[in-house]
Amino acid sequence: MERMLDVMNKMDKVLQVSGLTGGYSPKRPVLHEIEFSIRPGEMVGLIGLNGAGKSTTIKHILGLLTPQQGEVEVAGVRLAQHPEKYRSAFAYVPESPVLFDELTVEEHLRLAGMAYGVPGQDYETRAEELLIEFQMVPKRRAFAAHLSKGMRQKVMIMSALLASPPLYIIDEPFLGLDPLGIRSLLDRLVEVKRSGAAILMSSHILSTVEAYCDSFIVMHQGRIAAQGKLENIRSAAGFQEGTGSLEDAFYRLVAGGES
Amino acid sequence: MAEAGARLAVTWSERARAFRKEIFPYLRYMAQSGFPAFLSLLFIASAIGYFGLIRDVPPDFPLIEVGVVFLTPVLCWSPLRTWLAPADVVYLMPREHEMNVYLNRSLRYSVIWSSILAAAVFLLYVPVYQRGGGENDVWLLAVALLLLKGAGHYGAWRERRMSWGAARIFFRLGRWLLTAGVIGAWLLYPEWQAALFMFICMALLAAAYRLPRNQRFPWERLIQEEERTRKRYYSAFGMFIDVPVVSASIARRPYLSWLLPRIRYGQNHAYVYLYAASLIRTEIGGILIRLLLLGGLVSYWAADAATLEGWGAAISYAIFAFVMTLQLGGLRYVNRYTVWKNIYPLPLDGQREQFARLDRAALLTGLSILWLPASLPLLLGGYYVAPISIAAAMLIYVLAIRPARLRRKLMLEAEED
Repeated sequence: MERMLDVMNKMDKVLQVSGLTGGYSPKRPVLHEIEFSIRPGEMVGLIGLNGAGKSTTIKHILGLLTPQQGEVEVAGVRLAQHPEKYRSAFAYVPESPVLFDELTVEEHLRLAGMAYGVPGQDYETRAEELLIEFQMVPKRRAFAAHLSKGMRQKVMIMSALLASPPLYIIDEPFLGLDPLGIRSLLDRLVEVKRSGAAILMSSHILSTVEAYCDSFIVMHQGRIAAQGKLENIRSAAGFQEGTGSLEDAFYRLVAGGES
Repeated sequence: MAEAGARLAVTWSERARAFRKEIFPYLRYMAQSGFPAFLSLLFIASAIGYFGLIRDVPPDFPLIEVGVVFLTPVLCWSPLRTWLAPADVVYLMPREHEMNVYLNRSLRYSVIWSSILAAAVFLLYVPVYQRGGGENDVWLLAVALLLLKGAGHYGAWRERRMSWGAARIFFRLGRWLLTAGVIGAWLLYPEWQAALFMFICMALLAAAYRLPRNQRFPWERLIQEEERTRKRYYSAFGMFIDVPVVSASIARRPYLSWLLPRIRYGQNHAYVYLYAASLIRTEIGGILIRLLLLGGLVSYWAADAATLEGWGAAISYAIFAFVMTLQLGGLRYVNRYTVWKNIYPLPLDGQREQFARLDRAALLTGLSILWLPASLPLLLGGYYVAPISIAAAMLIYVLAIRPARLRRKLMLEAEED
């Protein structure tokens, strides 16, 4: 996996979404002409109202939906071209935790390690570190069904971090997390970003997104309303240079309101 | 108040009807599947065996043991269909004070059906008991069993209300053991002694039931129980037709869990690991273990008596092996729709191959263990043909026929998905 990360660093883009139109039914596309890319070491915030198309975009990247037009490339390949390379290049943290009821916390980590081909020695150290960091040591032998929602979310995040891929796709990671959990996650994300991994994170907590992300994609009604650095978003929303927060700009872009 | 109660009774009936309607299509599929033919065959075979037994009960027939083994479960088992769902904690809980009406319907339903079952088992057992030399009056026995059945329902309800899981398990175990003891006493000892023993046990339990802390109305327990029952229905239907995904009920099963960490760590074992965990901890594993125990016991009896030159044990082995194989087939539907199957960087044919590997290992282990009680008594008694034949048939099936069939099925299902 680390060698893959080096290759990625040399590469231009970890994720490239081009001209993507898609959704659940060909008659009613949810997404229209979505176009963006993410480079190694970049953290991108995907923001939008409920129903704006964030989760549908993520599902297209995951390969769970088929594009009607356009394409998605991860690590330089399309899913159909090289499924294994495509899939091993990212880890996914879904909005609501989806765990196997019959596995314990520790066993989830082990399964993720096996699935992503993490070498045995690395698995042991990383799993131990993650359990400590996310305060899950006392729960290591608990079944997923017996965990609180926040703890389930932690297991998802830990599994993704354990895989240590070049790209993280994280959907609403803060829901249900306690303050320490949020802190650990953000610290870890900064760390993996420094090591060269890219992160696509969808969230409604705009202040956190603004503080941690390098650039932003604002989605509205299935289209990209604005994208780029904070200045780009602000100017798209009609703010003077250096004025307005991400939240102000977002509000203006999606609600058309005066902030 | 009475009106509100009546409304709840109507809710109960509507829910019961909705469930019947929900399962009807699956029953139809089951009826079309050849399962009824298998059941009829089983029925005919058991009927022949049964009438043969009562015509001529062998002198060494374990009369009392058989009575205890068959009567205890039907007297103690007291399932409760309440049709309660998680949302009822929000919508019905405010009417907890009127829930008696609702619950009484559930209790009545449970008492009627489980009593019919108990009566059927009792009626089948009575001729065996009388012809096998049992001396006690069967009418008195019937009255005693009726009392035990009532006490069983009462006890089961008290256990459901207990606040702590450990207390509940302890009391249930106690109730089952005491019931088994009382049945044994009624079959073996003079009636007055048995009656005395029964009343002492009942008084003891009744007093003990006062000790643990109780809930007024065990909402969560009842919802959980209803969910489990539903899952059982669906996992039974799942053997015949695709069923909506119901999350599996999980047990830790420490006596098997030690196997999991022994699965080699590596990408080409990831699905072996996942499905091994599913097998060990879901309902499928539980059912397989119960089948293995029951099959082992029945086959051992047949083998020990060397019925039909050992072929009796072979038939029993074949029947249990067939049902176990059928049951294990349900494993591929566990986690069928999990998103991780598509997300993990493992090729689909690799997933299938890993599943087939686990299926083969599990089946080989299960059927080999079942072979031991079905064959060792025969081999020791000098009967070789039956045990060696079933071992050979089993190996051919598990190592050659089953993997090919399973792969075909998995490919077909993957295309359908």
